[in-house]
Amino acid sequence: MALLEIKNLSLFIKTGTDNVKALDKISLTLNAGEIKALVGESGSGKSLIVRSIIGALPDAWSVKADRITYDGQDLLNMSRDQRRQIMRRDIAVVFQEPTSALDPSVRISSQIQESIPDEFIDKGFFWRRIQQRRQISISLMHKVGIKDHMRYLDSYPHELPPAISQKLMIAMALASEPKILITDDSTRGMESTTKTQILRLLTKLNKTKNLAILFVSHDLLAVTNMAKTVTVLYCGQTVESGKVKSLMRKPLHPYTKALLDSAPSFQVSLPPKSSLIALKGTIPTLQHLPIGCRLGPRCPNAKKECVVTPIPRKIQDHQYSCHFPLHFPHVKGPDKEVHL
Amino acid sequence: MTPIIEAEEIEYTFTFRPSIFATKNTFHLGPLSFKLYEGETIAIIGNNGSGKSLIAKTLVGAVTPHKGKVALLGSYENHTDKATRTKAIRMIFQHNQSIMNPALSVGSILHLPLSLNTSLGYSARRTKIEQTLLQVGLLPEHYHFYRDMMSDGQQQRVAMARALILDPKIIVADEPFAALDPSVRSQTVNLILQLQKDLGLGFIFISHNLGIVRHISDKVMVMDQGQLVEHGDTQEVFKNPQHPLTSKLVDAHFNLVSKHFETS
Amino acid sequence: MQRFNHYQEEYYPSPLMHVWIEFRRSHIALVGFVVLSVFIFIALFGDLIAPFDPNLQNTNAILLPPSWEANGTIVHVFGTDSLGRDVFSRILHACQVTFGVSILIVIIAAGIGVGLGVLAGLLSGLRSSVINHLFDSIMSVPTLLIAIIIVAILGTGLFNAMLAITLALIPQFVHQTRTFVKTELQKDYVILDKLDGASPMRIFFNSILPGMAELIVVQATLAISIAIIDISALGFLNLGATTGMTELGQMLSQSLDVAYVSPWLVALPGLFIFLMVFSVNVVGEGLRSALRNRLKL
Repeated sequence: MALLEIKNLSLFIKTGTDNVKALDKISLTLNAGEIKALVGESGSGKSLIVRSIIGALPDAWSVKADRITYDGQDLLNMSRDQRRQIMRRDIAVVFQEPTSALDPSVRISSQIQESIPDEFIDKGFFWRRIQQRRQISISLMHKVGIKDHMRYLDSYPHELPPAISQKLMIAMALASEPKILITDDSTRGMESTTKTQILRLLTKLNKTKNLAILFVSHDLLAVTNMAKTVTVLYCGQTVESGKVKSLMRKPLHPYTKALLDSAPSFQVSLPPKSSLIALKGTIPTLQHLPIGCRLGPRCPNAKKECVVTPIPRKIQDHQYSCHFPLHFPHVKGPDKEVHL
Repeated sequence: MTPIIEAEEIEYTFTFRPSIFATKNTFHLGPLSFKLYEGETIAIIGNNGSGKSLIAKTLVGAVTPHKGKVALLGSYENHTDKATRTKAIRMIFQHNQSIMNPALSVGSILHLPLSLNTSLGYSARRTKIEQTLLQVGLLPEHYHFYRDMMSDGQQQRVAMARALILDPKIIVADEPFAALDPSVRSQTVNLILQLQKDLGLGFIFISHNLGIVRHISDKVMVMDQGQLVEHGDTQEVFKNPQHPLTSKLVDAHFNLVSKHFETS
Repeated sequence: MQRFNHYQEEYYPSPLMHVWIEFRRSHIALVGFVVLSVFIFIALFGDLIAPFDPNLQNTNAILLPPSWEANGTIVHVFGTDSLGRDVFSRILHACQVTFGVSILIVIIAAGIGVGLGVLAGLLSGLRSSVINHLFDSIMSVPTLLIAIIIVAILGTGLFNAMLAITLALIPQFVHQTRTFVKTELQKDYVILDKLDGASPMRIFFNSILPGMAELIVVQATLAISIAIIDISALGFLNLGATTGMTELGQMLSQSLDVAYVSPWLVALPGLFIFLMVFSVNVVGEGLRSALRNRLKL
């Protein structure tokens, strides 16, 4: 049973006169207790997906989808209050920059206490309730691996090291005991030690609490360490999705391959100081999206067929959207040279 | 062979109070010595606040060390003389919104270093600018572009052009890859490697990304709280880290990488 | 290798051009801009259009109503006042004085204010603070009040009023410019300029000034509307333009005595003051939102 299901989500952004299709028919399912990664560079629309799920959209954006359901309930057609209720209790989001997501002028203790829903507090005199909140917040901090809670409770956000503030953000997200945790690029710019800590924490939460995690990132190293399934996005189109294992072993889409090539640590045989395999060109801006397959102008295998948007094809659990997939020259694709 | 830049026992001491009632904190950097030869790359890694950026700033002459000296191209005078130093060492900042002035076109940004440091006339400068733009993988047409019209990768290339335009011997870069997307990052890495091969540049950079550090650097320096805790040949340090901090960083990195290979 | 022609437009607007493109999108701002252009035209060529000398008294036609009234004539489009002077010519002349003087004041105030602001921005420590906070303290008093105080000391007259308003407008420019220069100096590109070996002056003219043009334009439109109101207010209080000159506020106060007999004498100058301030404000607001939109892209 899919906990979160998104089918054919398109998002339009109004810029001046034209309506840009920033997300193009994205489908995504997240099962209970699953860690799914959403991989994409900047401009790939991964943050847009997160915002469509939580429903925080500016007026200039409009969402069209066949369905977005949480646990069988239609998120698109429910009232504002119902949706807010789900967001408050069942889906939690950890945003990108912990330093800007925490209020700089409020102590950590009160920020955590504020995130605890009232239902968790027994009725009683106010000093009882204050004490309870304090206890819950301390146990939350322990849960995310901050043992030295006394040291941080009375600090302000700017006094905290990045790893701690990231953990605090996760603690605050966990306060409502959600079923789904969405982390938006939470390992960006971290050193390897800090990154390992956060990844270990998320994996542990997934195992012990059966928490479903949507791990949004562009860091493949982190993704392969955490997730079981992955969806790769490029410029608002789904490029490839499936099990992490099969995607890493045999990427079918040239973009996935390029992403894998971009990390020198993934290539054992690469001599130091040799040049890396890189896609030419840069990520197009929203105003200049190419038609058809949006990787088209940058793709090493592009042919004239690529001006038509490829339909998603499936081999077992592995779904890809490419006219000329790598490794499978016999599926479609007239030329043998396609095979790299 | 003389090193193109040599830091000799550079040292800094800063004292600051977080608030009037708190006790004084002292940050001490160094003493620190290292050498960079032509065509060589040194990577500086370490935690935040370990003084990495301060080293970079010292080398380009933005700050003067409290003790110690820096020798450039074999003499101290070269480093204290602003004109020689500006031409020989150039800096690239971490990519961010304020790396390019939004009100100026690429052309006028690149004119400034040339008109300040060379005696070229306008048309000669313009030719030089167009050459440099080609060198970093942009087109001469980008001369008329403004920041708003360029992608992150292109802006990074402009920053690189600005550094290269005076034909420097050494480039110092503070997190040049951190804010770039993977596919653009590979392009930048390739560009730096190519330029180093062609021009024999010395390259000193600060990075968190150990994968890239391992790939492009010859030597690595590990900093912790202002002290150089380990330095040496990159492959050697990665294979056989001595200091606990180094082994912690390297282990964490290799753990991530090896898990990746387990899954695939 | 880098460029794909099919992605990008053929035309690359400069930032200022971009602001104009954004500005054109708003219709209200464009209307304001047209009205403002008419006033600029009047300020430049008002004397050529005016059919009569503004001070010529025609005793045969006293308190004539405007031409659209039943007993008005087409010769005096807006009618005549209690001394038989042609109101249309007087209003043209008055617009010239009020609007022209306001712009002149703002140009002078902007020149001095921006100069001091830049100085305060480039300097540091005590000297910077002295310049800044001295003017900040002046800013806390309403401009009109300062103007009245200065006029009280120096005596009435248009020149003194101009002087007073100029002085009152300077602090805003100082403050804005100083803040802008201070934040700009922290930017990475300024540090890069320094590493290129540029002197502070060079950095200012080369890197900071081009970005400041927009700020000055926006601040100036605000200042113009303040200046128009202050000039008219001083004129109305008989502290500004002397009897020899025509000025909108002064026209208002002179026609108060006959307001019941000939209400247009009050209504028309008031309408023109309103139009002037309105158009300047609409254009200023349009510019500001255009800037916001440009920066957001």
